[in-house]
Amino acid sequence: MSVADTLADRYDAELQSHGVGLRDEFLEAARELESMLTPEDFEVWAERGAALASQSLRSWEAAVEFFRASPEVSRLIPFDLLVRWSESAERLSTESPLVAAAYLRATPAVVQALPADPDFDIGIQGENITQQTIIRTDLDSWAQAGERLHQGNWKSIALTVLFFDESPKIFSGLSMPQVDQLVDVLVVLAERSYQLATTCLEASGALFEELDFHDREPFLQFAAALSRSSWADTRLYFERGPELVSRIEREQRGAFLQLAARVVQSAGRQGFPHFLETASAMGDVPVNEHETMMRLAQYLARRSPVAAMAFLRSVPFVLTRITSEQLEQWVEPGARLLFDEGNIEGAEAYFKMQSTRAEGTLASLSARVELGSIHGLLRMYAKALTGSTISIRSTEELVDRGIGWVQQSMATTEGTSIFLPPFVGSFPEQPSNFQSYKVFTTHQTGRIEFGSFHYQWGVDGVYAPASVAERLPDAPQRERDAITDMERFFDLFEVRDLIASLFTVVEDTRVDAAVSREYRGITPWLHRLQSIEAERRPDARSMSLRSAFVESMLRSSLGRRDAIRWPKDLMEAMGTALGALAVVEEPNATVQDSAEVAGALYDIAVSMPNIRNPYNDEDWEEPPSDFGEQAQMPGGMGQSERELPEDSEEQEFEVPAQPEFRGDFKPELVQLLSRLRDQASGEAGEGETLSSDQVMDALSKSSEVGFPDASEGDMAASMGQFLSNLEKEAAAAAKAKQQRDQNGEESDGEGGGDEGGSSDKGPEITWTYYDEWDFRASDYRPRWCRVGERTGEEGTLDYYQDTLQKHHGLVVETRRQFELMRPETFRRIKRLEDGEEIDLDRAIEFIVDKRAGVGPLAQVYWRRNKVDRDVAVAFLMDMSASTDEEVEKPRSGDRTDGSFQGDPRNYFQWLAERRAKQISEAPKRIIDLEKESLVLIAEALEAIGDSYGIYGFSGYGRDNVEFHVIKDLAEQFGDQVRKRIDKVQPVRSTRMGPAIRHTIAKMEKYDAKAKILILVSDGRPQDHGYGRDRTEKEYAVHDTHQALLEAKRVGITPFLITVDKEGHDYLKDMCSDVGYEVVDDIEQLPRRLTSLYRVLSAE
Amino acid sequence: MAVEDFRLTSEPYYLPITDEIELFETAYANNVPVLLKGPTGCGKTRFVEYMSWRLHNHLGDKATEGVPLITVACHEDLTASDLVGRYLLEGEETRWIDGPITRAVKTGAICYLDEIVEARKDTTVLIHPLTDYRRLLPIDKRGELLEAAPGFLLVLSYNPGYQSALKDLKHSTRQRFIAIEFKYPPREQEAQIIQVESGCSTDMAEELAKLAEKVRNLREHGLAEGVSTRLLVYAGKLIANGISPRRACQVAVVWGLTDDVEVQQSIEEVVTSIFPE
Ligand SMILES: Nc1ncnc2c1ncn2[C@@H]1O[C@H](COP(=O)(O)OP(=O)(O)O)[C@@H](O)[C@H]1O
Ligand SMILES: [Mg+2]
Repeated sequence: MSVADTLADRYDAELQSHGVGLRDEFLEAARELESMLTPEDFEVWAERGAALASQSLRSWEAAVEFFRASPEVSRLIPFDLLVRWSESAERLSTESPLVAAAYLRATPAVVQALPADPDFDIGIQGENITQQTIIRTDLDSWAQAGERLHQGNWKSIALTVLFFDESPKIFSGLSMPQVDQLVDVLVVLAERSYQLATTCLEASGALFEELDFHDREPFLQFAAALSRSSWADTRLYFERGPELVSRIEREQRGAFLQLAARVVQSAGRQGFPHFLETASAMGDVPVNEHETMMRLAQYLARRSPVAAMAFLRSVPFVLTRITSEQLEQWVEPGARLLFDEGNIEGAEAYFKMQSTRAEGTLASLSARVELGSIHGLLRMYAKALTGSTISIRSTEELVDRGIGWVQQSMATTEGTSIFLPPFVGSFPEQPSNFQSYKVFTTHQTGRIEFGSFHYQWGVDGVYAPASVAERLPDAPQRERDAITDMERFFDLFEVRDLIASLFTVVEDTRVDAAVSREYRGITPWLHRLQSIEAERRPDARSMSLRSAFVESMLRSSLGRRDAIRWPKDLMEAMGTALGALAVVEEPNATVQDSAEVAGALYDIAVSMPNIRNPYNDEDWEEPPSDFGEQAQMPGGMGQSERELPEDSEEQEFEVPAQPEFRGDFKPELVQLLSRLRDQASGEAGEGETLSSDQVMDALSKSSEVGFPDASEGDMAASMGQFLSNLEKEAAAAAKAKQQRDQNGEESDGEGGGDEGGSSDKGPEITWTYYDEWDFRASDYRPRWCRVGERTGEEGTLDYYQDTLQKHHGLVVETRRQFELMRPETFRRIKRLEDGEEIDLDRAIEFIVDKRAGVGPLAQVYWRRNKVDRDVAVAFLMDMSASTDEEVEKPRSGDRTDGSFQGDPRNYFQWLAERRAKQISEAPKRIIDLEKESLVLIAEALEAIGDSYGIYGFSGYGRDNVEFHVIKDLAEQFGDQVRKRIDKVQPVRSTRMGPAIRHTIAKMEKYDAKAKILILVSDGRPQDHGYGRDRTEKEYAVHDTHQALLEAKRVGITPFLITVDKEGHDYLKDMCSDVGYEVVDDIEQLPRRLTSLYRVLSAE
Repeated sequence: MAVEDFRLTSEPYYLPITDEIELFETAYANNVPVLLKGPTGCGKTRFVEYMSWRLHNHLGDKATEGVPLITVACHEDLTASDLVGRYLLEGEETRWIDGPITRAVKTGAICYLDEIVEARKDTTVLIHPLTDYRRLLPIDKRGELLEAAPGFLLVLSYNPGYQSALKDLKHSTRQRFIAIEFKYPPREQEAQIIQVESGCSTDMAEELAKLAEKVRNLREHGLAEGVSTRLLVYAGKLIANGISPRRACQVAVVWGLTDDVEVQQSIEEVVTSIFPE
């Protein structure tokens, strides 16, 4: 019998009492250990096992694990440590045998995962050693870490068990002190949610393995900070953190996480979203920039970690505008705010890109030119060149609106708008980029100015007579007749793409020639861009012959005949073609010439089969230099087919890409659009209206109307979409034109505002952007708010009429008072040599002077000067939801308890009366009073004849400030206005600043000597995001104040009327330097408003 | 101020644009007062000067004296007394001095009231009896009523560009004149004028006229009238004297027109498109 068996026998009774299996486990372990331990140690081991088993009712479960793990463990650690280990287990087991079991079970794997104790096992070295010291000796610390999770309840037991179960994986990534840190985090989380702690723990193993060794510690630090400030986000951090962090340059991750940890401590709930955004922002920047970024960020973090993080977030955007070498220059002004001026809020706004200064610095550093910043300039430039009103729009819009003829955002024009790329940044210097814009624009205006869209069927050119009559008999059959002259011309030719692209090249040649002649100042830049484009052209030898032919024409048209390569064998045809192309470069050549030349080139092109390059490279040459020197239309049509290798296959004609500065050219569509426009505006004149089918047909022929990945079926659908977009555009343009005609003014995107897309349904909305004042930064946030102006909805006339009736007396009274103001006021002009009457005082003075021998001027007359009233006023009404509140009735109708004289009957009677009254008369709300005031104002102002506008505002968030036009300044008062007043109703929040700014913009455009803006509101400005958080009121108050000051600055008198009784506290701030009044008894609002107006407009 | 001072000594250059010469001559022959309507700097004054010279030649007998021209540039403070005349104090004495209208009426001159709307409203009262067929000028302060000498013609200029309710010509005044409308000359003629007047090259004059046409397209953008022929002539003169065209246009055209920076910039861009560096 072995020692093990004896031992087992000895402990048999004890072990048996805990269940049958235990003895077997013991025996199995003992047999293995027998050879490894000294007899004494062996004895000790058995004793400890037995003790553990009998410690409590369920401690046998721990003992089982003890026996199972012992052989393995004793192979790994010395016996004294094993004893300590068993002691730890015993301790754990007193709290929970389950926990102890998990601890014991995990031990072999954990010990293996741990590097050896250097003291114990010298000779083990490696990266991990320095960081992870005292390890195998640490089984007890490990147990203690687990114990910290254990709180005695079931959930905590489960968590602790999980901790030990996961430990092998965790220890493969973390050192003991780091595990302690992890447990710290888990403890904090477990206080909030075991569920959350569990999830994080489960993720930990894989997570830390995935993380780089150096990143683990900072990762934990951030986790610790996060768990304290915003525990709920920890899970997301464990899930997404490693991936996000991995996109940051290796060396910088630690620094980044440390910085993030600092921010999360101060930023609270906002901290984590900022971390996410910042980390992913860094991921968007190439890693080789990260070092610079982190260096700058750490520099900023010395004063404001928030600014540092904001900076990192802004970098991807900033780098779209400037180079990374300039980054430091961009940081500088913000850093000055931070360190020199101590304006931390300002600096933070700067780095968040929420300050005009930040935007300004960027703009001045950036070589790139934004369309938005030169939009107005180009619009006027285009107007000057063409003489017609042309709007400048971004090609982005073209794509968005689905009216682009192609998907790419190429410059183009459809006759009334010029579409340009949103920015140009191809050159390293700003002036060059601006010049590019100018060339783009000039080419497009050239198309308009030099009549590219006015092709007329059958009209002779100056140099080339019309050939349509001769071509007609040979023209291919078409299912439907062409709608426009241009289309009719194209229809003469078999291959639509070929004639269209030739016409494009020829017409662009003509336009560029005309531009060069007419605008010699811009010619150097035109040539420069032409040359750049010519260098970029694809190799003609890789094209099929006809494409190569068009390509050659294109190079010639770019002024680079030297860049043409063409097969020797076909050189004669090239000579003819270049001579023909030169025709349109002659002065006075018209679009008719272009069409004829394109036709002649077409004939040349189709005389060659469209096969792939059949020649050797050496057989392609530059044409002789005198080719094209002489402008010459080819004599006679129909070139004979040339002899070329038979075997090659005919290719589909491919249109060579257009040079960037010329952009797209679709004259047939422009002609179509202009017909649709005329149709929409009722100017169709002769000719029947077009059916959708006809238009569809015309569109489908214009092969380049591209629809992204269109299959056959989609094609039809997109086409329909395209068509309705076109029609919408046409209708909008026609409407705008009508309005212009009516108002005699332009309505195209004035005031620098961008016109956004209008929605399909509901009212037409025009969007304008305004800056907002950030008082902390003492700076504007550029283009921060978007105001959508729409015409107020119309209700019925009843409301207006009822109100007039109900307030008949008041209406008559106000009208009368206003009428008194009407007569022109007279002003005396004194000190005249001649006038209506003698000014007695001055006459006496004069006589005295004369006697005295002084010879003053006889300025003794005075005269009345008629001054006409020239007042414009805008009423801006708060339509926020709070105006829905009921107006408290003045107490007069109410009765105090005392007045019931203790008689309940009196009380019931009063109650009944009140109910009856309430039924007949709905409770009055603030908005109702505002509306009544509007009625009164309209009546009064009509009597006096001042110009006035009535606007309402509301909205939600900075992106959606609603601006309702009840009556525009220039609009005639009438039923439509009466009906709109009916529909004035409480909507959403109160973002006053942008609404005021929009009103200012409108008033500025209006010509009047005196301008007044009256803002009627029920309370303080309030909106989503109008301030740092929901409760902050200062921001909104400051912005509103600033907007009111802006009004004053441009000569508008602002005045604020509020019915907010508590309003006094903030009103003083909001209206410093601005007039305001609190109407206490708000039923008086209508009366007060009108009388106030009289006072205001009197001066 | 002797009336003789206003006699022209050499033929002014005037390029006829349409039938204005014929109209004016006929009006003159028939004592029909004339209103010249048009923006500033488009040639109205030059036209009257030229007509005065031309009529002088036609009236062969007056060859040495010609038809004098008396021009009054009207301004806000111009009163009826300024036009008719007034008493001046000389010691304890007073002396009467004829105003320009009175002088014109007496000598049978063309009286040209330039920019009449600028003058005080009361001046127009004088104009009315003068435009009646008897052509009388009442001199209230002396209790006189002068009849205009033969050869007298009242010519007003009026710039409709300043349309403001305050400064508009009264309807009753308008009704007494035939109106010859002046516009800025078409490109080719304007080029010719610029060339002759400034002495710059024909090419340059054409470019300047082109610029004018483009800039006038911007009329609504706060440029009430667009650039005047006069300014273009100035630019031409600068260029003829060696100033670079871009610079000349900048000082003569761009800055003169508007204070709006954006409009200025866009005009400058038009300038730089037309004139090479
Ligand atoms: N038709 C013309 N012929 C010759 N010179 C002209 C003509 N039109 C304009 N000018 C030039 O323009 C300048 C300004 O014209 P002016 O008669 O003073 O303008 P206005 O009196 O209309 O303000 C003249 O000095 C002259 O150089
Ligand atoms: Mg003049």
